[in-house]
Amino acid sequence: MEELVRQKARELLSTRQVECVIGWERASDGLTSRPFFAYAPEEADRLIYDQTCVNSLAKFLVDKRNKNTAIVAKPCDTRAINLLLLEKQIKRERVYIIGVTCAGMREVSFGYMGEKLQPRCLLCPQHNPVVYDFLVGELVSEEAVRSYEDLAEIDARTHQEREAFWQEHFSRCIRCYACRQACPGCYCQQCFVDQLDPHWVGIRIAPQENHQWNTVRAFHLMGRCIECGECQRVCPVKIPMMLLNRHLLREVESKFSFQPGLSPETPPPLATFKPDEDLGI
Amino acid sequence: MKSFLSRDNLLLWLKRLLQEYTVIAPVQAWDTVLFQPVKVVEEIVLNYDVSALSPKDVFFPTSETLFTFERQGGRWEARPLPEIKKQVLFGLHPCDAHGIALMDVPFLSPPADLHYQRRREATTLVGLACSRARPECFCESLGGGPQDPSHLDVLLIPTPQGYILQVRTARGAALFTGFNVEELEIDNPPPPVTAPVPVAGITEMARNTFNDVYWERLADRCIHCNLCAYVCPCCYCFDIRDYALKGRVERVRSWESCQAGGFTRLAGGYDPRPSKGARLRQRFFHKFLYYPTQFKGQAKCTGCGRCVRACPVNIDIREVASEMQRIGGRVARAA
Repeated sequence: MEELVRQKARELLSTRQVECVIGWERASDGLTSRPFFAYAPEEADRLIYDQTCVNSLAKFLVDKRNKNTAIVAKPCDTRAINLLLLEKQIKRERVYIIGVTCAGMREVSFGYMGEKLQPRCLLCPQHNPVVYDFLVGELVSEEAVRSYEDLAEIDARTHQEREAFWQEHFSRCIRCYACRQACPGCYCQQCFVDQLDPHWVGIRIAPQENHQWNTVRAFHLMGRCIECGECQRVCPVKIPMMLLNRHLLREVESKFSFQPGLSPETPPPLATFKPDEDLGI
Repeated sequence: MKSFLSRDNLLLWLKRLLQEYTVIAPVQAWDTVLFQPVKVVEEIVLNYDVSALSPKDVFFPTSETLFTFERQGGRWEARPLPEIKKQVLFGLHPCDAHGIALMDVPFLSPPADLHYQRRREATTLVGLACSRARPECFCESLGGGPQDPSHLDVLLIPTPQGYILQVRTARGAALFTGFNVEELEIDNPPPPVTAPVPVAGITEMARNTFNDVYWERLADRCIHCNLCAYVCPCCYCFDIRDYALKGRVERVRSWESCQAGGFTRLAGGYDPRPSKGARLRQRFFHKFLYYPTQFKGQAKCTGCGRCVRACPVNIDIREVASEMQRIGGRVARAA
């Protein structure tokens, strides 16, 4: 698979169809991977694709929106690309998508690769890219069933227990905003948290402000989160944000039968209003 | 002969300490280890590799109130600063003590930062030497070491039998008043070996790399979060904002980072560091050029490896240092 990725990248760069190919290369630990931008045909040889390619790359396309750019995209990356296309952050004619199938990514950290898959991958039913210009290899079989078994434990808690659970997690937050920066859905020029007028959230890194930050961000991703799980992976204090994101996703899915990122044309339910919609009221 | 604490004696001593001091120590917090005030000795994690965050927030909190004014009887009155209890920062590794020493220079050089100074003066540092090195550790290259006692009041070196005790200062000795410490014929265990990083002469080389395309290329993958600065044991940028409520004004200082987009935005719409590359260069220039130049000292890095581990896109400061040497050397030869 890796050699096919390199071949395609080399071809796109040498024919100048694109200025840059975004993919993954080996990280400095010699074991895991990191995002890589190839600008010259010979740099294509540095591209890799294996079960350590955890980084979501789609958001880098926003930086390159006015340049012809190719991207190596695994299934969750292609869902992110659809989201960015739908929300007009990138232009389809500027992007060349080299789709790769995904069997799930392994648990990795610097200098470490585990045997197990990442929790986010264990629950992901998406093994084929949902949009691509060139497919590396062949499509694989997929089970269409989505599971929310990860939410069972928090579902069993009372409202007060959940509140305490999140208070405890948010109390560790240092507001480094790595979650936002890694999120393909968080591309606002000015995030609500940085806004001064109106001043939504103060700069104090304290329970109340942290709670506002994390919950409001989750609401902004309701019906938009494509479940790459990057927010949780990059969090230095390991806040299990995907529990909150997936809780909201389940709401959207059960009420509107909608999953974000599967199409570049269908807007999320909260962005539309239909007279015959069952609002449950 | 060396002073020695068996594991049982260490716990006994910590229990006694807890009666008199606030003890801040590594504890398990969900999937991470963090420094937090402890209530009971059993909370303390003695055998940890690296905490997710350094203990710099003991002196430079994520957020703190610098002053509070309240309106009373038609007049604005300053509220007194809260009292700071005597405290012990227990269990920090030598690299984190090095980080505190690097923070001391800007914060304690006259005019000293009152808030930092008050906490620093109330705190005794009891370090724990490292038995293991992680692949991202490189403290020896920055002048430290897994058993380096510098910058600490007390160092404990773990051995299979217990802890070798090095009391380095009078403040450290005060923690052992009336406590019976054993003497034992015992050798220090061999320290773990850390990765070598070429930092010698980097200050001279750094400036040569200022205009190199390297920084913009490196910034391609940077997602400009604040993570590297926030996990760093010696990054100290902050923001200040006033909180005004009816009859009460508070000035609050919170962590900030040179990697954030708005950090250098100025009146008139200017920004001297407008791109990700310029901001990323600033990070490494502050560590290897500006800090050592301003304070006539060493690099502002301890080799703790936290930023290497935490960076979501593997911007590895050790690799950056090597590249700065290589590019700086090339530019110097061409000149």
